[in-house]
Amino acid sequence: MRYAVLVLVLCAAVVASVSLGDIAVPPMDVLQSLLFGGGEYDLVVRELRWPRTLLAAVGGAALAIGGALIQSVTRNPLASPDIIGITQGAGLAATIALTTGIVSVAPAATAGGLLAAAAVFAFGGAQTSRRFVLAGVAIAFALRAGIEIVLTSAETLDAQRAQIWLIGSLNGRGFEEAAPIGVVLALTMAPLAWAAWALRTTSLDDDVARGIGVRPVARRYGLAALGVVIAATATAQIGAVDFVALVAPQLAQRLSKRERPPIVASALIGATLVVFADLLGRRLLAPTQLPAGVLTAALGAPYLVYLLLKRRRA
Amino acid sequence: MKRSAVLVLGALLLGVAVAASLAIGARSVPLSEVLAALLGELTGDNAVIVRDMRLPRTLVGIEVGVALAMAGAMMQTLTRNPIAEPRILGISAGASTGVVVAIALFGVGTLGGWIWFGLLGAGLAGTLVFAVAARAREGASPVNLALAGAAIDAGLGALIYGLLSIDAATFDQFRFWVVGALSGRTSQMALQVLPFVLAGVVLAAVSARGLDALSLGDDVARGLGHRVGRVRITAGAASILLTGAAVAVAGPIAFVGLAVPHAARALVGTGHRWVLPVSALLGAVLVLSADVLGRVLFPPGEVPAGVITALVGAPVLLWTVRRR
Repeated sequence: MRYAVLVLVLCAAVVASVSLGDIAVPPMDVLQSLLFGGGEYDLVVRELRWPRTLLAAVGGAALAIGGALIQSVTRNPLASPDIIGITQGAGLAATIALTTGIVSVAPAATAGGLLAAAAVFAFGGAQTSRRFVLAGVAIAFALRAGIEIVLTSAETLDAQRAQIWLIGSLNGRGFEEAAPIGVVLALTMAPLAWAAWALRTTSLDDDVARGIGVRPVARRYGLAALGVVIAATATAQIGAVDFVALVAPQLAQRLSKRERPPIVASALIGATLVVFADLLGRRLLAPTQLPAGVLTAALGAPYLVYLLLKRRRA
Repeated sequence: MKRSAVLVLGALLLGVAVAASLAIGARSVPLSEVLAALLGELTGDNAVIVRDMRLPRTLVGIEVGVALAMAGAMMQTLTRNPIAEPRILGISAGASTGVVVAIALFGVGTLGGWIWFGLLGAGLAGTLVFAVAARAREGASPVNLALAGAAIDAGLGALIYGLLSIDAATFDQFRFWVVGALSGRTSQMALQVLPFVLAGVVLAAVSARGLDALSLGDDVARGLGHRVGRVRITAGAASILLTGAAVAVAGPIAFVGLAVPHAARALVGTGHRWVLPVSALLGAVLVLSADVLGRVLFPPGEVPAGVITALVGAPVLLWTVRRR
C-alpha cells in the first residue's frame, strides 16, 4: 500500500517534470507522446525532457540506495556518501578531468569515488562504524582541499564548469548518462536482493548476529562495498547532488517505521526528490537554471537540522 | 618544561615566523632590509614589498591564527569533544555563507560590511551546533558532531555555489577567498578585523576560569559556584566572534583550531588560562608558516594557506580519532 503511494508520487513528479517548461505540455499529451509517440509535442517530450527526467529518477534512486546501505552499515543516519568522502573523491577526479581534459569525466569520477572509498576502508576499517565514519570525514576534508587546489590553479571557465559539476546539474544530460547507472543497478539486482535480506540483521548486536550464524564483519564489508559502487556510479554521472543519499533513506525509514532504511522505498523517494529538485531548479528562476544540487541542498539542510535537534541523544 | 618557558618559546617561534613571513616570497628580502623597511629607512621595491604587501598579510595571518586557535580550544571544551573546530563544526561554513550572501544578494563589496554578515552566519551555525551538543547529557559524540558539521559544511557549500553559479565575476573573486588565503590582504583589512578579534580574546580571557570548571562537568562547575549558562554563552559568543572575524578576512581556513589546542594541552596541561594564550601564539605561528610554505612551494604560483593547513590537518584529525 505504502509502496503504491510512493510509486504514484514518483509518477506524478515525472509527468510534472516532462510537462512543465518554457512550452507547457498538457499531462495527457505527455502520456500519449511517451507511450505511443506521434503528435505535436514529440520533440519537446521525447528528445528534451524525458531523457533528463529519466536520468534524474535513475540517478536519485541510485544515490538513495547507496545512502541506505552505508547508513545501515554504519548505523548512523548522517553517514552518507557525500559526507564520508566518496563524493569528494569523485569530485576531485572530475575536477582534474574537467580542467585538464586528459581523461573523460565520468570514468575518472567513478574511479575517484572508488579510490576514496578504498582509502576510507583502509584507514577506518569496517570493524567499528565510529572509526569508519570519522576516517571518512577526515578523508573528505583532505580531498576537498585537493579539489580547492585544482580549482584555484585552473582557468576561470574551466573552474566554473568544474564547479557546476561539483554541485550536480542535469542540464544537457540524458540517456547517455542514465545508461551506466541503469546497467550497474541491473547488475547489482542480485546482490541488492541479498542486501535487503542482510540489512534485517544489521541492527543486531555483533554477538547476537554471530549466534544466529551471520558473519557481521564480512557482511558489513559486503554491504558497504555494494553501496559505494552504486553511489560512485551515480555521482560520476550526475555530479555531487547533495543530501539525496542522506535524506531519502531517512524519509523511507520513517515512513516504513523500520529499524533500518528499506532499499526499495529509499530508491523511490530518492528518484522523486531528484526529479522534483531538477524541476524546481529549471522553473524557479527561469530562464536562469539552478543546478539540481542547489535545490536538494536547500531542501536537505533544513531537514538535517530538524533531524539533529530532534534526536534526544545526539 | 615549565609553563612560562613554553610561553616564551612560543613567542620566540612567533618572532621567527613573522621574520620569515616578511622576508620570504617570490622575491626574497634580506632581514637587514626588512628591518630597515619597517623602520622607514629603506626606499625602493623591497621597501614597498615588505611594508605594503608582506606586513599586512603577516598581521592578518597573526589575527587569523590567534582567532581560530582560541576558538577551537573553547569549542573543544564547550562541546566536550576533542575534534571540535570552527571548520569541522560547520561554523566557518556559516560565516562563509554570510559573506557570500552579502556579496551576491546585497552587493556589499568591503570587508567592513562582510564582517557583520560573517558574524551573523557564524552565529546562526554556532547556535545550532552548540544546541545540538548541549542536548546530549555527556556531550554529543565526536562522530555525530563531526557528521553534523560536515553536513552543514556540505549543505551551505552547495548553497554558496548555487548563488555564485549565477554570477561569473563574483565566482572568480570568491573561488580564491573560499579556500582560505592571506594573499592580497591590506593593512586596512587588518585594522578592520582587529576590534572583533580583540573583543573575542577579552571574552575568552574572562571565561577561562569558567571553562576550567566546565570541563569537570556541569554539576561540579555549579558546585564550584560558576554560573554554567553564563560561561557557555560568554565562551560561545567569543568563539563565534573569533571565527566570524577570521573567516570574513581570510576565508574558512581549516584545522588550525583542531591541531593547535591539542598541542597546547600537551605542553601546558588543561588549564584554560595557559591553554588559551599558548594556543593563540602557536595558532599564529601555524598560519604564518602555512602561508610562507604556500609561497615557496610552487613558485611563481601561490598555494593558499588554507590548502596547506587542510593537508596538514587531515592526518591530525585521523590521529586524534584513532588515539581514543
